[in-house]
Amino acid sequence: MKKIIEDNGVKIFLVKLLIFIVTITVADLIIGTVLKKTYFKQQQGYDYMTTFSIKKANDPVMIFGSSRAVNIFNPAVMEKELNLPCFNAGRIGQSIFYHYAVLKSVLKRYKPEKIILSFDAGNFDKDQEDYDRLSSLLPYYESNPEIEPVINLKGPYEKIKAISTIYPYNSLLLPILNGNLNRNKRSYANIKGYMPIKKTTSGPVRTIDYTKEDVLDPEKINTYRAFISECIKAGIELHIVCPPYLVNAIGNDLSIETAKKIAAEYKIDFIDYSRDSFYMRQPQLFADFRHLNGKGADLFSEQVAEIIGNN
Amino acid sequence: MLFNSFHFLFFFIIVTSIYFILPHSKRWILLLAASCYFYMAFVPIYILILGFTIIVDYIAGICIENATGRRRKLFLIYSLVANIGTLFVFKYFNFLNDNFSFLMKGFGLDNPIPYLSILLPIGLSFHTFQAMSYTIEVYRGHQKAERHFGLYALYVMFYPQLVAGPIERPQNLLHQFREKHYFESNRVFEGLKMIVWGLFKKLVIADRLAIYVNGAYNNYDQQSGVALILATIFFSFQVYCDFSGYSDIAIGTARVMGFNLMTNFKRPIFARSTGEFWKRWHISLSTWFKDYLYFPLGGSKVAVPRMYLNLMIVFLISGLWHGANWTFIIWGGINGFYLVFALMTRKLREQFWGMTGINNFPKINTAMQILVTFTLIGFSRVFFRSENVGQAFTIIKKMASFNGSILNENLTMIAYSLFAIGFLILVELRREFFDTSFSLSNHRSFWVRNAYYAVLVLLILIVGVYDGGQFIYFQF
Repeated sequence: MKKIIEDNGVKIFLVKLLIFIVTITVADLIIGTVLKKTYFKQQQGYDYMTTFSIKKANDPVMIFGSSRAVNIFNPAVMEKELNLPCFNAGRIGQSIFYHYAVLKSVLKRYKPEKIILSFDAGNFDKDQEDYDRLSSLLPYYESNPEIEPVINLKGPYEKIKAISTIYPYNSLLLPILNGNLNRNKRSYANIKGYMPIKKTTSGPVRTIDYTKEDVLDPEKINTYRAFISECIKAGIELHIVCPPYLVNAIGNDLSIETAKKIAAEYKIDFIDYSRDSFYMRQPQLFADFRHLNGKGADLFSEQVAEIIGNN
Repeated sequence: MLFNSFHFLFFFIIVTSIYFILPHSKRWILLLAASCYFYMAFVPIYILILGFTIIVDYIAGICIENATGRRRKLFLIYSLVANIGTLFVFKYFNFLNDNFSFLMKGFGLDNPIPYLSILLPIGLSFHTFQAMSYTIEVYRGHQKAERHFGLYALYVMFYPQLVAGPIERPQNLLHQFREKHYFESNRVFEGLKMIVWGLFKKLVIADRLAIYVNGAYNNYDQQSGVALILATIFFSFQVYCDFSGYSDIAIGTARVMGFNLMTNFKRPIFARSTGEFWKRWHISLSTWFKDYLYFPLGGSKVAVPRMYLNLMIVFLISGLWHGANWTFIIWGGINGFYLVFALMTRKLREQFWGMTGINNFPKINTAMQILVTFTLIGFSRVFFRSENVGQAFTIIKKMASFNGSILNENLTMIAYSLFAIGFLILVELRREFFDTSFSLSNHRSFWVRNAYYAVLVLLILIVGVYDGGQFIYFQF
């Protein structure tokens, strides 16, 4: 061993490697700290929405869900009906994992009176992307330890990766710059998380076959159960809502059926509009087959608020 | 186990450290055990397929060497049948059965042959071709049959290049397992630098572009023509960085331990003709086909029409090698056609360009040739990327309309993608066209080199995509 070290420069190698590691560590710390500071200074954009939901929102009515929550539930309309401040904490492209993590953080700060969880067809399907997208919670890994178990679903090495100060802000450089430019005066706080779609669909009505076997993700089902349990434990009135689709559906979606059964187990209200005949006849209320447009969203928000208000 | 995973990082550190601690005589055991572990990290049971071909080819190699006359050929044929047979069962059976069903349906009949419910073993085409090159070379007398079973198994299974090449030849690799490799810091750094560059290409460029490409191709019916054109251009860079990134990591990993694997890519984005492209792209496969298929068919030492036919055969089979799908066969056919067409029209084209006087402007001429080659290769990749032929034609039709916007409002994604491509072009442009005496990556000063690679690592941390998943060529 000694001969190898003398002859072939293991020592030199180790010294150079050490210098390289120190360079990376120092640069990582400096750049990561700058990214962290600027991340939490954002005033617009999706990440700002998440920060606001986790750290600031304190409305008695909170809405959780993915794009169909963000685009469909209009807090302004619902507030009128419910006489309660309302906030849309949904995030486009996210799954039950994200909603559960945000709920956990919210509950650490305050207890909303009512929660609406928007549920979609296929929400329990196995999809690796739903795990990958949990990276949007990484900036809160340090400040909100309650979300750690959810983030760890991403993979077994998240704790090691989090040693890097830059890692939580990976791919966020441009969004952070954009979020700090503050061009958009209609900030998230003003619109309360709601992002209406203006266009109206022009395409033909789709046919979706739900009869093919879906593989459900037990992790998602467990998290859905945990979401319900947390609400019940905190004494929050939970309503699970499936907004309408503009589709000719063949068979039943397994995720919706499963979610309904679980909700019934917990005696939770499951409002299913996924096959509502009224909306099926109103394509002018849709932006595409999955999303209501602004006009449709207002109408639906009012309907949902009415149902919830009457409960 | 993916090269771009923490699992591999730990594996690499542990295996390499033990490798240099162990005495030379025991190192092959470590490498073989590590290679088994590496392969079994994907689907453990498929190690049996590898084991089968290893045993068959090991015995065949010895039998070929010991035999004389026609028996030599017979043993070679046994070996080739075993290898191609394995490939056929796992990769092509269901495809052929599918086509047979389609044919039977045309006659109003049902196909009685059942489909096989099997997964394609990862990297099957790569290690099968490497195994075949061994028995062919032994048959040709270019390589002595390996008597040490462990070393032969290691030749097929050497983990850096096991699942996606480079497809090595026994003359280059086998003897290296017998050589003593000392720890040399310069060589180790050289290997590590290749690994970092490979990771950069995979994580910062390929996986970033994949987001746009997958978004467009997976929802092609909702995309505009312009978005699909951009996605196809991006795909050219994606597939290059994905595969060459893998090769760089493979070569770098082997280099750290003292092994030299063959170069697999020589900046194909700057190829000036489709012919030149294939001399720069996936060189280990191109030369495999040249040595073991094109030349045995007669190569270019036959009548011109036969040579054209040979080229078409090689490219169609190369397409089929990539995947059991008509899209790959058409992709191979298009590329074969490009070569045949280029050969047929060479004189005519030279006359035409001579008349235009473009030859007086060599830089413009070169730029045009690169652009045309890139476009032609990129076009053929519509078939490479599409799920089926119908999708490919719809995409081409949409692209031809040239209308619409670039996918969606996500300008951030496009900005990252353009940065990634720009960085790659800058690095490759300098290596291709400019004096390489000045180089940040190989600068005389340690501090400059240190800073350059630190920047690469930081860029991976800042803009790399960590959830990109596996390498495209693993599926072949």
